[in-house]
Formats: sequence, C-alpha cells, structure tokens
Amino acid sequence: MSRKSQQPRDVTRREFVHTSAAAAAALTFPGAPALMRRADTLRIGLVGCGGRGTGAAKDCLTSSERVELVAIGDLFPDRVTECRANLARMATEDTSGGLKAKIKLDDANAFSGFDAYQKVIGSKVDVVLLATPPAFRARHLAAAIEAGKHVFMEKPVGVDPVEVRSVIASADLAAQKGLAIVAGTQRRHDAGYRAAMQRIHDGAIGDIVAAQVYWNQGGLWMKPRQPQWSDVEWQIRNWLYFTWLSGDHIVEQHIHNIDVANWALGAHPIKAVGVGGRQWRTDAAYGHIYDHFAIDFEYPNGVHVLSMCRQIDGTASHVAERIVGTRGSSDAHSVIEGAAPWRWDAQTPRTNPYVQEHADLIASIRAGKPLNEGRQVAETTLSAIMGREAAYTGKEITWDELLNAQQDLVPAEVKFGPMPVAPVAMPGQTALARSWRSA
Amino acid sequence: MLMAAKISLLLLAQNAPYRDSIPGTLVRFDMMPVPGAQPLWIGKTEVTWDEYDIWAFRLDLTPRERSSGVDATARPSRPYGAPDRGFGHHGYPALAMTYFAAQTYCIWLSAKTGKKYRLPTDAEWTRAARLGLAGDSALTAERRDALAWHAGNAGAKAHPAAAKAADALGLYDLLGNVAEWVTGTDSGGRPVVRGGSWNDPPDRVGPTARARQTSDWNETDPQFPKSRWWLADAPFVGFRLVREP
Repeated sequence: MSRKSQQPRDVTRREFVHTSAAAAAALTFPGAPALMRRADTLRIGLVGCGGRGTGAAKDCLTSSERVELVAIGDLFPDRVTECRANLARMATEDTSGGLKAKIKLDDANAFSGFDAYQKVIGSKVDVVLLATPPAFRARHLAAAIEAGKHVFMEKPVGVDPVEVRSVIASADLAAQKGLAIVAGTQRRHDAGYRAAMQRIHDGAIGDIVAAQVYWNQGGLWMKPRQPQWSDVEWQIRNWLYFTWLSGDHIVEQHIHNIDVANWALGAHPIKAVGVGGRQWRTDAAYGHIYDHFAIDFEYPNGVHVLSMCRQIDGTASHVAERIVGTRGSSDAHSVIEGAAPWRWDAQTPRTNPYVQEHADLIASIRAGKPLNEGRQVAETTLSAIMGREAAYTGKEITWDELLNAQQDLVPAEVKFGPMPVAPVAMPGQTALARSWRSA
Repeated sequence: MLMAAKISLLLLAQNAPYRDSIPGTLVRFDMMPVPGAQPLWIGKTEVTWDEYDIWAFRLDLTPRERSSGVDATARPSRPYGAPDRGFGHHGYPALAMTYFAAQTYCIWLSAKTGKKYRLPTDAEWTRAARLGLAGDSALTAERRDALAWHAGNAGAKAHPAAAKAADALGLYDLLGNVAEWVTGTDSGGRPVVRGGSWNDPPDRVGPTARARQTSDWNETDPQFPKSRWWLADAPFVGFRLVREP
C-alpha cells in the first residue's frame, strides 16, 4: 500500500573519502564545530517564501549532505515570518533529525521588500533558489548569475519574450562562468519519465508523428482583496490571475506537459494556432486570465501536438501526455505500447522528483560539471507563451516572430501603488506587440 | 413535502435502508442498516466524487460566495492537478483525501442534512465487514474477485462504485476499490484505513486488512507545509459514511 521512496544519493566516491575524513576528524576532536564544517558545504539562499519556495528549501536540504539554508527573502514581511515558523516546524517534524542542523537562519538574514532578492544573493550564498511569482524570475536569475551563484528556479521562467530573451542570455552567461541552473520542470528528473523517454529516443515507438498534452482541472486558490492592499499588492498576492505575473495558466501550469512534448521531440514548436477564453471564472477577483485553451502546435517535420488546458470546476480532469510514433505510443512515464512494449515496474523505488532535481543540481556542482537547464526551460516557457498568444491574438504565431516580439508585460520597476487591470485578451483585437504601459 | 418527511422518519425508525440527498443539489446517496443492538446505518457505497465535489469545490455556494472566500477555512484547498487521477469521476469513489478532510466532510454533511453522519469506528467497520461476509470470513479467491477490486483485477486504477457484487448487507466495495478511513488509530497514533484497495495484492484485501498512513502517502506534495486536505501519493484512500440516530 505504500509508495516506496528512496533518498537520492549525491555521494561520489571522492566525496565519500572526504566525508569519512571529516567524520574521523570529528571523532578525534569532539565538540569542535569548526572542524565539522566541511570546506565544500554549500550555502543556500531562498528567494520567494511561499509554500513552494519553503518546499523547495526542504527538498534541497533533504537532497544532499553539506548544504545549509542561510538566508531567505520575500517581498512581503508576513511571508518571511510565516516561512521562518514553517522552517521551525519542518525541523521539529523531521524524523531523521538531519534538517535542523541544516537550517541556519537568524533575524539578520531574513529579508523582505522588493530588494530582498539582492540581500539574499549578497549573503555569501553559493546557491539561490528562485521561487517568486514568474514575473520576477528573469531579473532575479540575471542578478544571481551576475553575482556568480548557482541557481534552482521554479517554472515558468518568464511571462513574455523580453523575459525569455533575458533568461537565455543568463543561461549563456552561466555556461561561460561554470554556474549551474536547474529548473522546476521536475518531470525531467523523474525516474519513470527518464526511463520512458530514453526508450522513446532510442526508437521504441519509431518516429514520433504526433502528441497530445493536457492539464485540465478545476480552479485554484484566490485571496479575497483586503482594503489595505494597493492594486499592485492585490495583484501580486493573487499572481495566478494576472498575465504579467503568471503568464496565464497555460504558461504557469500546462508548461509541464508542453515541456514533455519538447523533450520527446527534442525541439520546440515552430508555430501555433489556438483558441481559448474566459468563460466561467469571470469574477474580477480572478484578474483577467483565461480559464481554457486548446492549441495546435506545429513542430519540425510536420509533427503536430495538441495541447489542451482548463481550470473550470465541475469539468473532466486530465493531466497527462501521450506521445504517438510510427511503431507505438507512450504515456511518457510508465507505459509504452506497440512494437516494443514496456511498463515501469511498480515495485521499483521511484525517488521524489522534487527532491531529485536538487540532488542532481548539488551533485553537478560538486562534480564540477554544472547542469545548465536554462535554455531548455526558457524554450519551453516560450513554447507555452506561444500557445497563449495564439489564443489571445487569434493569429498564427511563429517561433521567430514571438522570440523577437516587442511584448513587455512586466513594469521595469514594480512598486506598490495603483495599477489598472489590463483588459481580457480579445482574439482578433489583442496585438502580439504590447506592453504594460498600454494595458 | 411534510408527508415525505413523515414517511422518511417512519422508515428510519424501522432501521430500514434510506436514500438521503445533499440539500440544494441533485446528489443522492444510499444508507443501509447494520443489524445490532444499537441502530446504525452505513453507506451503501464509498462516498463518491458526486457527493464530495459539492463540499470540496464549494458547489453549494454561489459564485459570489466563492469569490468572497466565505467558508474558506472549513473546505479543502484547491488541488494543483487532477484529484481523481484520471481514473474517472462521476460515480467513482472520491479518493486521496486526508483523514482530517474525510472527518471534516462528515461534519459539513451533518450540518447540511441535520443528521449525525461520521466515519465508522474501526470496530463498526469490522462488524459490517464480518456481517457482509455472512460468517464466511475466509475469503476464497473467487469470492474476493466477485466482491472486490484489488491489484490482481483492477488494472492499476479505482473503479466506479458498486461495479462489483454487493455483500450480504447490501454494501458495495467495502473490501477493495479504495481503502476506507475509520476513526481510531494504530498504536503509533496514526490514522488507519480498512479493507485494502485497488493498489493492494489480493491477500491484503479483506475484512481484517488494515493499513496505517505513512509519509510515503504524501511524499511528493511539493509545498511546505504539505496539504492537510489532499494526499499527493495515496490515490487508493477514500471513505464511507455511517450514521447514528
């Protein structure tokens, strides 16, 4: 009845020798804390203290030895306070006992405000976890890479082509500097997906001719507006519902499935046509995003991928991918049907992919072979934006025109105050080139 | 209306089966009497999504009430994903809820209907299972297959409620399909589920099957704190109502 888990391992033989030496030293000089601190301990900073950011910190600390959380930051002071309470709870609840020693926070390294990310980056950290709403990702990433930090960043990594171009530039800079970037498209680190995808790439289903990807579910959380909140504070606290903050749900959520299509095909779409609308979730409390999209993505060699996503209560739920080839098909993670059938053995331990992505990040840093998923996740993000824009504008959108489009949805300087809600996108009228200024 | 209420009361007094509804909705569910010294009814089926959705997704509220956040603390958080795992929805057992969520549903349903609904105790569940098997607790493989969805026949998914045969009490899926939360805990203070599920091998589906919640059941919830309403990795857990007078 249990879903077997196993802790990921990031210990190479060389590190094992180091660790053993440290243990021996500790035995020789018990109570000498300076000797317990390994020279290769990685100091972690968290930017974005919500449930996912705090969860990402836990995943990172759980994933590897010799990692310490030393700084946190969030726009809102209440989220910082909440995060610290949750970290204390995390340490108490941890039955292995290892987490408590890895959380090294005090008042001086818990920051709030729009510049909190700079203070976290400036706290002598080695790795930064970026988990704020997507609007801020590109600028936070740029600052982190500029400062020479390794990065874990949640998806999506931008909301418009300006952000995506910035992420690609940061990814290139990270490569030059030997810095690691791992993204929260955790299917890429899931043992089942990796096993299936390896077989697909080895030809188990022949040539891929089509795919279908879905994220259909009900609505998500919403925080009723409080009288003391400015427009900007209200929007950021309800970031899901504003395109400039989340990218809309096709970008924020459905990106996971679109990423699987890109992964299977080893390519990004070259053009897209789509439909979408805001039919059910129409109250102003839910900003201006759509509640459903259906997109026809065209990839190289005439391969078409159907993408469908919906957030409407009381409708059929479906979160899945299906890859179709000339010799078979696959759900991309557990089953291949056709000429070379395969099934993931349910008894095989399957590590938690949310932890594994951090184990892979830390191991790659220590091995001196930093993973760099920056361009890959930027391309997937732009793919999802392409679907959104196909629906928003009602036009056929090509990759090249989108990548180079003058679409700039995030104000250069975000600060609390008035900010009108941009109108709901109207196919046939909404232009691809648009900016927060014209909203 | 008054006449219907009187008839309904009469039937209850006789400890007969009855059909209840969630007021303000078209959703109905059936309760069956459990013979014994004290009157007790038990759900004919596991609680289905049709019932659970009303509460979990606030379908009994107006759009205005939903967007004002009324009742937010007593209802589940919005799941990020498909809570039914794509197994099926209409007529399927609700699944992957926490013990706390199952209990809170019962409190809501009791307030909504004015009747005393709750989770079965471990002992009540056992008694219903034994009566349902009419003394034949040593399940043959054939009997088990006739009554229960388990890993050997379910195809790695939950199935619609009441697709297998009813037991001697007229209950469906008491064994298998989704394992069922009961009140009471194991010796470590952890809540338990009974009966086994579609995810368990046949020898762990039966009237004595009991499993305790482990951390594996919510391992991949990527948030901290993890949800108190949903279990990210336990799509094999559900529940059944009992009602006392």
